[in-house]
Amino acid sequence: MNEKKTELRWFSVPEWKKEEQYLRERHKAGWRFTGVTFPGFYHFEACEPEDVVYQLDYNQEGLAHKDEYVQMFRDCGWEYLLDFVGYSYFRKPVSEMDDKNEEIFCDDASRLDMIRRTFKGRVLPLVVLFCCIIVPQLLMQFNLERTINKVLFGCYVVLFVVYLLLFMQFGYQYWKLKKELE
Amino acid sequence: MDAHIRKVYVPMTETGFYILLCLQDEMHGYSIVQKVEAMTGGDIRLSPGTMYGSLSKMEKDGLIRFVREEDKRKIYVITDLGKEVLQLEMQRIERLYRNMREERRA
Repeated sequence: MNEKKTELRWFSVPEWKKEEQYLRERHKAGWRFTGVTFPGFYHFEACEPEDVVYQLDYNQEGLAHKDEYVQMFRDCGWEYLLDFVGYSYFRKPVSEMDDKNEEIFCDDASRLDMIRRTFKGRVLPLVVLFCCIIVPQLLMQFNLERTINKVLFGCYVVLFVVYLLLFMQFGYQYWKLKKELE
Repeated sequence: MDAHIRKVYVPMTETGFYILLCLQDEMHGYSIVQKVEAMTGGDIRLSPGTMYGSLSKMEKDGLIRFVREEDKRKIYVITDLGKEVLQLEMQRIERLYRNMREERRA
């Protein structure tokens, strides 16, 4: 039985590069990634230290046609691991690569497409929630008189601020990522 | 050809160009990867994330169409619209090449 360990890590939506690097470093240190569970528990088992590249894709169409999606990666030598909140995880040992810097994307157009897909899939739903529920509720509770309305108003103010901060963080990270590519 | 197609695909990425070039014959994604690798002496190795994304985008835009599935691999072929786009790209690249030859100093 291999030794196991679990670490808690938080990577926000546009931080998949950081996450890939984290998994690669763990594998180099002799910890093979075996899974991730909500909200951010990363599970590992002891292994021979090896330089293995980890890559994340976000492709809802791929998930809907899983067999052929995974087959394409497998044909190119990438091992498919699992899906987590819409992201698919792949890995490939550097020793099996002809080009030692191989990635699952080979041009910037497709890297930008991936950014757009994550934005549409992960951030847009939050924007809709924000505009259709949080903002109208905030205004409605503000105009009502009872104590319960004051309490609810307070709650929505907190939500409002949290969401706004999240959007600013996303916006900044997307901008940074896009700038790196351009 | 509508403005959207022209804007997205003329000019197109090297990946996109090679996909259309290969799909003049029926082929699945990985055989495109292999063919392009052979054509370029191993210099261009298309990656699976890029391939999957490009193929589904091109299928949605009507440049290629799905033919059938074989061993979990989708086989595609170029459409008339795809041929039109490929023709435009070939003309553009030929012009580029001609001008490069003419203006070449070294």
